[in-house]
Amino acid sequence: MQKLRMNSTGLAVIFLVVGTAIVILEVLVAGAQNASLLLTLVFWVALAEGCIALVAAAELSHAQWILPIKRALLSVYPIILFISILFLFLGFKLDIYPWAAKQNAWLNKPFFLIRNFILLLLAFLFAWKFAVESGKESEKKNRYAVLYILFFVFSQSLVAFDWVMTLEYPWFSTLFGGFFFVESFYSGIALAGILCVWLLKQSTEDSDKLEKTLKDTATLMFGFALFWVGLFFAQYLVIWYGNIPEETSFLVTRLSDPVLGKLSPLVLIALFVAPFTLLLPQRSKSRSGLVQAMSMLIIAGIFLERLIFLIPVVSLNPFLVILEFLGLALLFAAVIANRHWLIRQS
Amino acid sequence: MKSEKVVERTEINYKEQLERDVLAAMAKPNRWYWVALGFSATCFLIGLISWGYQIKIGMGTAGLNNPVGWGVYITDFVFWVGIAHSGTLISAVLFLFRAKFRSSFNRTAEAMTVIAVMTAGLFPLIHLGRVWFFYWLFPYPNQRLLWVNFRSPLIWDVFAVSTYLTVSAVFFYVGMIPDLAIVRRLTTGIRKKIYGILSLGWQGSLSEWMHYNRLYLFLAAFATPLVISVHSVVSWDFAMSVIPGWHTTIFAPYFVAGAIFSGTAMVVTLVIPMRKIFSLEKYITLDHFESLAKLLLLTSLIVTYSYIVELGIAFYSGNVFETAIFKYRMMGDYKILYWIMISCNSLIPLLVFFRKVRRSLPSLLIISLLANVGMWFERFILIVTSLAKDFDPYAWGLYKPSIIEAGITLGSFGMFFTFFLIFTKVLPVLSMTELKEEHE
Amino acid sequence: MKQQYLFEDKAEFLSKLQELKDKGISRKAVTILIPYPLHEVEDIWHPAPSPLRVFTLFGALAGLLTGFAFTIYTAKDWPLITGGKPIVSIPPFIIISFALTILFGALVSFAGFLILTKLPNIRAMMEPEEYGNQFAILINNEE
Repeated sequence: MQKLRMNSTGLAVIFLVVGTAIVILEVLVAGAQNASLLLTLVFWVALAEGCIALVAAAELSHAQWILPIKRALLSVYPIILFISILFLFLGFKLDIYPWAAKQNAWLNKPFFLIRNFILLLLAFLFAWKFAVESGKESEKKNRYAVLYILFFVFSQSLVAFDWVMTLEYPWFSTLFGGFFFVESFYSGIALAGILCVWLLKQSTEDSDKLEKTLKDTATLMFGFALFWVGLFFAQYLVIWYGNIPEETSFLVTRLSDPVLGKLSPLVLIALFVAPFTLLLPQRSKSRSGLVQAMSMLIIAGIFLERLIFLIPVVSLNPFLVILEFLGLALLFAAVIANRHWLIRQS
Repeated sequence: MKSEKVVERTEINYKEQLERDVLAAMAKPNRWYWVALGFSATCFLIGLISWGYQIKIGMGTAGLNNPVGWGVYITDFVFWVGIAHSGTLISAVLFLFRAKFRSSFNRTAEAMTVIAVMTAGLFPLIHLGRVWFFYWLFPYPNQRLLWVNFRSPLIWDVFAVSTYLTVSAVFFYVGMIPDLAIVRRLTTGIRKKIYGILSLGWQGSLSEWMHYNRLYLFLAAFATPLVISVHSVVSWDFAMSVIPGWHTTIFAPYFVAGAIFSGTAMVVTLVIPMRKIFSLEKYITLDHFESLAKLLLLTSLIVTYSYIVELGIAFYSGNVFETAIFKYRMMGDYKILYWIMISCNSLIPLLVFFRKVRRSLPSLLIISLLANVGMWFERFILIVTSLAKDFDPYAWGLYKPSIIEAGITLGSFGMFFTFFLIFTKVLPVLSMTELKEEHE
Repeated sequence: MKQQYLFEDKAEFLSKLQELKDKGISRKAVTILIPYPLHEVEDIWHPAPSPLRVFTLFGALAGLLTGFAFTIYTAKDWPLITGGKPIVSIPPFIIISFALTILFGALVSFAGFLILTKLPNIRAMMEPEEYGNQFAILINNEE
């Protein structure tokens, strides 16, 4: 991580290189029918926006425990801009959507790109403003926190409804948007867990505070495991009970598939069973190794879930998926390593 | 050195003053109290008479008929269960989040929960044709060859609501034990004996506190998912069917948010006059109300989000029935109620964004009263419109509540306020122990 | 020999407690009465952590098992075919089991609390020793 410390030009170069590489691979190599970019966007936008949303929610509830990891979490805000721009290149691939053949007032290519781009951009702008003000501990930070959360909710809801749900028209679930922003928040908590452990290893200065933060993060993770499964169950139960073909199709496609049917329970284990049972004992919440493992499991679970959402309906290139994953992971590491100048403290 | 002494003395004064103020609220009631109690009890009596009349004459006295078989009673049920929600939420969730403003409200909120669940629990019975057979809902030994259907959402309700009532009551009581010991110390005669028994002989030894703190934490940890599950189950009474406007996945979290919204509004409605009447301004401050107002705003925004998503997805789905029901709600026979609902739940609470509004008690009181009106109409709209116009135009029909239903609804408010008024006189209205701890 | 120390001031109380602890006084002999919970006391005195969680866990698990066993067994024993759903339908049974998990967990925890604290304490109910808002240390050295 230390090697990634650099000045603003250096960071800009890294972003540019990763961005260009992804664009070249996606536009020139992969072709219009390949949706690897969509998977990358759907996953990383959740993680990036979730980190900022976690800090915003903590600031609004006057939580003290966030302080030791605040800068690291806030420093991911440039990623949202990166994703906004990357999103525009999805414009080359909009034919993966069934509605592209029969466009209407809401679902047409230009409007789809414009509304989502503007929402992402606004989410970025407020994330940026919030990150700066929050670093300075200024009066205005709460106002930006509220604005950011509003746009976070709208942006994540549209990710769910527009980017993912429309792949499978006429299937719909009204909770899908809510499910996505809660999941995004959940992934933010998971990243906070990883950052806690990482910072604990790095510095010995405020390890007392960090240990408390770790415990609180783990408690929040435990709570969100239960909350997540509640939302999952709320959707599953309604669809199972109603038993209407257009609603069940989504589940049937995935659960009756020989491979996906076996992978799907893993999501439930990664996002609920494992974190819930393993973090249940009071003491395990302060065991850094366990919390780190659970954090990684949760992030992996969310990735797997998004993969399962997309696999049956679009074509993905495993090579590209992995490459893009590594590229964005590198960017995350880069911004977090440079948090000292990205988020200036007063 | 000198200044330190002074600080110490004010601290002791704070504790004694607090006890005195809370005990004063439990002292002999004044005339206004009797007026309020008399009025609530009269409403309660009207409700009881209406119910008696309905039992004697039959369900025909209610305006329920085909196709609208669920009307005001189920609206009232959902409304009261909703009111019950904020109590445990404010208490348990805010306890887990270590939000300090909770200690000024938690007792009132928990009392409200217990009373509101009791009120709510009556409505499924009122709604039953032959109410003396209500025990058929419970899984008791089946000599009559009757057995409950665990796949029915109505049975989930029985389990969820009775669990909620029990756990809320335990939580309420456990939270009160150290305070009851304080009341025991400060009263005399027969009251001392009664509070002595109620306090279980609590002494406040270190080991008692060690177990107590654990218990309270665990109860809070149980109560939190329970709050969420109970109103989810209530929402599934609707969402499990395939009726347009009812069968939708967002219902569970949307009902929970709505319940917390209406519950918070009810806490504001109850606490503002209570604080004034019992002169508790020192313990329940404007800052506390501001925090509560923010919670109100948050939940209002979630409810608004759900309205938008439901509407948006109905049109997105291209489903004729879904689209039609939302158009009907907005522009059909019940459109006035719909727009009242939107104004009270989504638009007016936005005023809380202004600092001036959320720090003014009269405006908060008005907003909270309107929120309660709005949430009642929300449930009414939801239940009645979907039943009035479902799939087949041949089976459409309108519903108008009868005078008996109005009487019973009035009676439920009477019951709620009667019990609440009794609570303020027999139990400590503030959590003295916690306020002392917080004052440290 | 019975000794009784009463304090109005928290700091004095805590320093006395520290002093007693340093003297290595037998824990059993000391009763500490406080009007509200204090973290500092725990930091000084290190009382044994409450084993209440054992009750809670037992209650919750018992509730969960009862919920599933009860619904599945009775549904099989008295099959009601409704709504085209399987007789043993796990999703709805989860709801019942969840409610029972919470119910049993909460009630068993409460019972555990009563057992551990030996409440209700009849003697204290009738003739309580009241120390008001004072912090009290009672020492009972009868050897």
